[in-house]
Amino acid sequence: MKSKFTFLLIGSLIAIVTMALLSANISERKTEKVELNKTPEISGTDQYKNDEWQKYYPRQYSSWMKTKESGDILDLLKEYPQLPIIWAGYGFAKDYNAPRGHYYAIQSNTNTLRTGAPVDGKTGPMPTACWTCKSPDVIRMIERDGELEYFTGKWAKYGSEIKNSIGCANCHNNETAELRVSVPHLNRGLIAAGLPTFEESTHQVKRSLVCAACHSEYYFKKNKWTDADGKEKLAKVVTFPWKYGLNSEGMEKYYDEVGHTDFVNKISKTPILKTQHPGYEMHLTGIHGQKGVACADCHMPYTQEGSVKYSDHQLQNPLNTMDRSCMNCHRESEAKLKGIVKQKYVRKTQLHIITMDNLAKAHLETAKAMEVGATDEELKAVRQDIRTGQWKWDYAVASHGAFFHAPEEVLRNLSVANEYAMQARIKLVGVLAKHGVMDYAAPDFDDKAASQKLAGLDFDKMVEAKLEFKRTLEKEWNKTAVSNKTWNQDAFKGTDNETAYSKTVNGEYIRK
Amino acid sequence: MKKTAISLFVFALLFFGYIVQQSQMTSYLSKDPKACINCHVMNTQYATWQHSSHGVAGVACIECHLPTDNFFEKYYAKSVDGWNHSVAFTNGTYDPAMKISDYGAERVQKNCISCHASMVSEIKSNSDKYHNYTDPEVETGRKCWDCHKSVPHGKVRSITTTPYNLGIKENK
Repeated sequence: MKSKFTFLLIGSLIAIVTMALLSANISERKTEKVELNKTPEISGTDQYKNDEWQKYYPRQYSSWMKTKESGDILDLLKEYPQLPIIWAGYGFAKDYNAPRGHYYAIQSNTNTLRTGAPVDGKTGPMPTACWTCKSPDVIRMIERDGELEYFTGKWAKYGSEIKNSIGCANCHNNETAELRVSVPHLNRGLIAAGLPTFEESTHQVKRSLVCAACHSEYYFKKNKWTDADGKEKLAKVVTFPWKYGLNSEGMEKYYDEVGHTDFVNKISKTPILKTQHPGYEMHLTGIHGQKGVACADCHMPYTQEGSVKYSDHQLQNPLNTMDRSCMNCHRESEAKLKGIVKQKYVRKTQLHIITMDNLAKAHLETAKAMEVGATDEELKAVRQDIRTGQWKWDYAVASHGAFFHAPEEVLRNLSVANEYAMQARIKLVGVLAKHGVMDYAAPDFDDKAASQKLAGLDFDKMVEAKLEFKRTLEKEWNKTAVSNKTWNQDAFKGTDNETAYSKTVNGEYIRK
Repeated sequence: MKKTAISLFVFALLFFGYIVQQSQMTSYLSKDPKACINCHVMNTQYATWQHSSHGVAGVACIECHLPTDNFFEKYYAKSVDGWNHSVAFTNGTYDPAMKISDYGAERVQKNCISCHASMVSEIKSNSDKYHNYTDPEVETGRKCWDCHKSVPHGKVRSITTTPYNLGIKENK
């Protein structure tokens, strides 16, 4: 009997110890399960810092960091000296480079001569709206100050607040990482165009719409408002002109209806519409857009790293990732496809330059007509032709990639643009002849410096002022952002701060 | 000495047995399409085939991809492919969007013709009647799938983008 009880006792003890260990293990596994299923919450100010997202999304972050590789400065005013004439009186005549990676959004915005050389928060040529597509900090500012206050005042007002380059929070919900659009103008544009809003759209469409929030044609709509203290203010709100359709005709109609003009050309006194970058609108008219291919399908291809699949956040030219972008669907060789793309580029460029030459000449010939006494009445039809022609030319080429996204639409717009430019020049021959000028030839514009002079710009003065701004106010902005803990300067360490006009030597800005 | 040698030999034999078991080596002697997804790289091809008419009709991978009329040719092709695939998979030297080799394409084309013989013979008799083969503008030598592009592996196919290629049941 006694030995049986001993056996039972020991047996039970062993069972209990085993079960205790097991139950400890079960609860440990359960905690693991809960932890693993948690979506990381990146809250507070941290959500606007891309480097905070790195902790949870290391692959996406490090591929985003690689947009740094698209960093070359290509001075397009040097490439196309017609541009300062066409844009005389507008910021783009001062400085205009080929686009660079998302990593550089803030740096390029701060360095370009277009944003000028403010000396405090209330000076400088540009409004706050210029930050809108550059940073996740914009969401924070709109939340803090309200949309209308955000869009009121000078660009320099937010210099110390907006420091993080366009990144995670611009396209992703900070609690679920789902796609979102963080600015109100996209949905307003979609509603005006009679299209489904971002939230109503399918995931595949959202994979383009997050890009469309910035890569679209827009203008700054003037909006008078009164703040809480009863003070009258003027907001300049980013607005999409999509009411009459997502094409150059519809948008021109809209701009004419609301009486919008971006600037008056200094040389010819023509009221000009400056196209921004209708990349999304153009893409929709092209074959990839019509087939429902999203921006992300080619520019953010799915990538496999070991056994992990994620989308590549190194947004760049898909010709660098053909095996993951093009080759999923296309059966031809990479070399053949590249050849086709090159051909599209060559075709576009031929018509691009012809049209640009004619537009520049039309501006200079109009100036000559003014000089010899032509009246505004005589030049009205000429200026209307230049306005429409220049809008269409710009519409065709301003988004850079449109020659590939929508080659037919680009060539159509360029041809019509050139027709308008030529119509203006034919009319000008008549106007000039009437005033006794028979053999006027516009001065050469084969040199950026000469063109900027014609546009009445003092390049040296602009550069000196900008460098002074970089040595003083910009440094203050950086200090403030670091001490406010809204910006982690270390995440941007080692960034080359080269511009078209200066370089950095031992942290000092030197003119090139 | 003798003892050590014999025991090492026995160990090597056992180890080989282990490798055979681990690499599912014997499955490659079968004609089962599942053998082709022993490594995940072919999930795309398996999933697209499985959803295709050829998959529904139960035409197995090797019925298109290997010579079907000659035992020696079949095993020669199988060895060449097997070697190339093992090297690429072991070293990770394959591309996301894989393309068939010329040798592989030649074999598939033969098999298209042999199964769809009656249709192909009609096409051939038509073209013999109406095509001027001496005209260099007339493209000859194209493969069936130059036109029938999505047969049987679908329009979009690469390791990372093919729809429905996650969670292949047979590969769990």
